[in-house]
Amino acid sequence: MSQLTYGNINDKVVKSMEPPGRSWMVSMLMILGALSMGMFAWAVQIEHGLEWSGINHPIAWGVYITNFVFWIGIGHAGTLISAVLYLVRAPFRNSIYRASEAMTVFAVMTAGLFPLIHLGRAWYAYWLLPYPNQRELWINFKSPLLWDVFAISTYMSVSIAFFILGLIPDLATVRDESKGLKRLFYSIPALCFRGTNHQWLHYMRGYLIFAAIATPLVFSVHSIVSWDFAMSSLPGWHSTIFAPYFVAGAIFSGCGMVLTIMIPLRVAFPGFKEIIKLKDLEGMAKLIIFTSLIVTYAYAVEFFIAYYSGAQFERALFWFRPFGEMQGFFWVMVTCNCIVPIFLFSKKVRTSIPALFVISLLVNVGMWLERFVIVGTSLAHEFVPFAWGTYQFEWVEIWITIGSFGFFFMWFFIFVKIMPSIAIAEMKETLTPPFRRKNDE
Amino acid sequence: MMSKFSGVWATFEYLDDTCAAIKELKSENFDQITTHTPCPRHEIDHALGSPQSRVPFVTVIGSFIGFALALLITTKMALDWILPVSAKPILSVPIVVPIAFELTVLLSIYFTMGGMLLLILKDTFKHQVPKSSQYKEYDRFMRDRFGIVVECQEGDFQKIENIFKKHQAEEVNLEK
Repeated sequence: MSQLTYGNINDKVVKSMEPPGRSWMVSMLMILGALSMGMFAWAVQIEHGLEWSGINHPIAWGVYITNFVFWIGIGHAGTLISAVLYLVRAPFRNSIYRASEAMTVFAVMTAGLFPLIHLGRAWYAYWLLPYPNQRELWINFKSPLLWDVFAISTYMSVSIAFFILGLIPDLATVRDESKGLKRLFYSIPALCFRGTNHQWLHYMRGYLIFAAIATPLVFSVHSIVSWDFAMSSLPGWHSTIFAPYFVAGAIFSGCGMVLTIMIPLRVAFPGFKEIIKLKDLEGMAKLIIFTSLIVTYAYAVEFFIAYYSGAQFERALFWFRPFGEMQGFFWVMVTCNCIVPIFLFSKKVRTSIPALFVISLLVNVGMWLERFVIVGTSLAHEFVPFAWGTYQFEWVEIWITIGSFGFFFMWFFIFVKIMPSIAIAEMKETLTPPFRRKNDE
Repeated sequence: MMSKFSGVWATFEYLDDTCAAIKELKSENFDQITTHTPCPRHEIDHALGSPQSRVPFVTVIGSFIGFALALLITTKMALDWILPVSAKPILSVPIVVPIAFELTVLLSIYFTMGGMLLLILKDTFKHQVPKSSQYKEYDRFMRDRFGIVVECQEGDFQKIENIFKKHQAEEVNLEK
């Protein structure tokens, strides 16, 4: 195995950006197929209305809000890895943070589609924004849904800015490694970066500030998303632990998705095996264990409070979740989120790539179901029994959900071919620099 | 406007040679130094005397503006159209805090980015680099080579060249 050097990191990353091969093309075709079906389903919904989705009384927030929360959650790991793990100097961060950041940007872009899809009349989405209209009617600042508009927009702006900022030195590297038109293409976003001390000085200070500012944002965004639920007085939603519970869940699902995308990336580009080391993936697996334990604790606490507080509506709801007609979702969720990650305590499992990949997929499934259980069961089983109901999945929302995965992976597949999917400069920082006198430093 | 560059630049294979050359240049009172590295290295910062960036000041300005903007829009809009909901106060701290937090962060980030770009631009004008195609087309600074550019008068060329050669520079170029 060759040793990593400043030069061969460039070579490996630039090689991953060569024109796509057959497997990339076939995968892209499948992705575009899924996206097309999703777009078709959305068009059908716009034509016929929301009745073509499963949204109905009493579950007026169904798959779309589940998808929205799921994708926002996925987006959390990127900023966690790029900002929080940067501040604490986690050693497994450097090889995976660029792809995770890209994942964040694309996941938040995907999440942003769902409020529009859920609105039905997507063209009135601008009513959410504080624009001065004819009657001088302003938006309701007391609503957490409005806070969410600000939170998600800020999170998306910051994620994109963070992503672009991190890319600048690496785009300069790719520019210098390219010839002809490709060189011209990369020289524009590289902004004349040539690694001078003045550039690195302001760049590194700015990057540190970005990380420091983005860290509270990681916690604020999903807290505010959780308040979309927790500010209501609905049993199963009105809970004070929702904010930390949602944040932990978001990091948990995001780490799962990081493994879901990093493992195939490592296989697709053999040169990356030396860069994305097994111990980096193991680091993510440890984060999954940690956040899974928090999520499990939150599930247990919810049940305990519902039982011991004596609040009858809470009790009824928390009996309905594991034993009612929607119990299947609950038990799969518990299996995927609480039981499956326990296997990661074994080093043998943690260091097995196939096992990590399967577990990461199950975590994704479990976390999607968690959001569906929160949204669906609480609305299905409100205060008065005559208003109870259940949820019927319709093909339109199923295809829109599959299409959202197509939308996400389309961007990711484009990204790995036109941008450096490994942070070149940061990887070089982790290496011992070339010294003539080996006893120095 | 950028004036014509006069100075010497050299490339190095090893970081310790680069740092030693910088330290010697500083001891000889050559302060117009620009270095090139493939990634940020603290060794270079220490050799240059640990310069500080002013980006945090720009960030603070952005955060104050963001906070003030959030106060303004929430207060103005909440009082402009009275919207009673669930007997909650028309204007209160919980209404303002989430918006203020988000806008503070947003503006801080924008200002940080703008500040970084402006400061880099300012330093680029302040510290001249060679205009020759040989320098512009040298493409190993972002790969695996270190570089030092010293802006100086023609009379100092020989002295700087000797320092670079003493520290085993790969190549030394004089630019008049």
